[in-house]
Amino acid sequence: MPMPPANGGFMVAAYVAAAVIYLSYAGWLYWRSRGR
Amino acid sequence: MTARESAERALRRSGLWMAVGLLLVAGVYVRALVFTPQEATQGLAQKIFYIHAPSAWVAFLAFGIVGVCSALYLFLKDPRLDLFAASAAEVGTVFTTTVLVTGPIWGKTIWGAWWTWDARLTLTLFLYFIYLAYLVLRTAVEEPGRRARYSAVLGILGALLVPFIHVSVYLFRTLHPMPVVLRPGKPELPGSMLITLAFSFTVFTIFFFALLARRYAWARLVDARAQGEADHADASR
Amino acid sequence: MVSMLAQAWAIAAKDLLLEFRSRTAFLSALVFTALVLAIFNFARDPTAVSAVDLAPSILWITFSFAGVLTLSRAFSLEKENHAIDGLLLSPASRTALYLGKTAANLVFVGAVEAIALPLFALFFNVPLLDVLGPLVLVIALATVGFVTIGTLMSSMAVNTRFGELILLVLVLPFLVTPVSAAAEMTARIFAHRPFAELAPWLKLLAAYDITFSVICTLVFESTVEE
Repeated sequence: MPMPPANGGFMVAAYVAAAVIYLSYAGWLYWRSRGR
Repeated sequence: MTARESAERALRRSGLWMAVGLLLVAGVYVRALVFTPQEATQGLAQKIFYIHAPSAWVAFLAFGIVGVCSALYLFLKDPRLDLFAASAAEVGTVFTTTVLVTGPIWGKTIWGAWWTWDARLTLTLFLYFIYLAYLVLRTAVEEPGRRARYSAVLGILGALLVPFIHVSVYLFRTLHPMPVVLRPGKPELPGSMLITLAFSFTVFTIFFFALLARRYAWARLVDARAQGEADHADASR
Repeated sequence: MVSMLAQAWAIAAKDLLLEFRSRTAFLSALVFTALVLAIFNFARDPTAVSAVDLAPSILWITFSFAGVLTLSRAFSLEKENHAIDGLLLSPASRTALYLGKTAANLVFVGAVEAIALPLFALFFNVPLLDVLGPLVLVIALATVGFVTIGTLMSSMAVNTRFGELILLVLVLPFLVTPVSAAAEMTARIFAHRPFAELAPWLKLLAAYDITFSVICTLVFESTVEE
């Protein structure tokens, strides 16, 4: 069976990018909406 | 309970749900990265699928909500429907952004190119344009009643447009096949991967509703405050 | 129903009469369209790609973009002296107002296209006469597609900040279907392909036109309600 391509770097990039997007939005939303 | 108090309570509750949602997403990350086997022919990058596909599902679900609430708003004129639609649009845009970022990254590994006008990504791109048009329109209209009506009109039209773009893109692509550098075989997903995928879909849906709840509660609070100021100004006249 | 059509006719006739008197918008639209066609000549390498290969794209980008830009005329003219209030207070129904405005826009854009089409044939050496029938049908269907949506959107855009820009942001996503269908059909028409090859695109465009004509007519009321 041939070796699968070495593309782990892409996986990491995508997972990190998604985490950044979601955490940034969740963080922004949480902090901006803490009504006083 | 006043509208303001109700909104404040919803704000607190949704804060809790957001925390739960984030923990669950972290759980998906661990499950996908550590406990799911690597796909035999595509390499580790195939795992992007566990983030990409559920995000796409949410992106379209959110727009469905925008469409339905827009239609209901034009019939019922309840301003809460407008606030809910607008909240869904904002959160939906965030998920769509993720789809359009993770898609090309994954695409580079399968197609050898960052963008190939793939049918599903192209449809998502146009969904993004519709979302952005919706958000831009809202910033361009100040009066809340008019803003709600205009947004609702765009929400309905946008929702109807999506199936047409889908067909247009499909027709376009079947007549203009794009070169594919590597052709992935249709991978069968063994049980473990299916579980991860199902888990991820569930988690992302929960996470979406948590963010939506928070965004909506905030919108209601802002609206209640503006209402309170208007009433106060009227009363002290 | 009959009175609604009569009202729509009256509104369309009013718009067209107003335009006929000054002709400013029409002439500007015409010059703009001609300029876009001419500039396209410089946006390509004539030795690399033959005109006939690019012709459908040039035709449809020009027609759709120029067409959409002229649509804001319909409602911006009602802003002068709050003329729109007069229209809304009149016995004319909202549906009649939308149909009248859309009809006027169709005539307006159609007239620009009628003059721009021979110009296009001249600039890019495209023989049109033997395919004129099918070509005009495709142009008509696609124009209905973007004018119905564009008229509706312009009734909203006229009340926003940066209306012209907002109009484009709102309308352009809706151009995917009409422009892709029209361009595909136009390419096949120029290549003298059999009619059967146009069928899928024709059906799609017809469905699009029917769907959005109906929906835009129904929701128009919400864009002018006070």
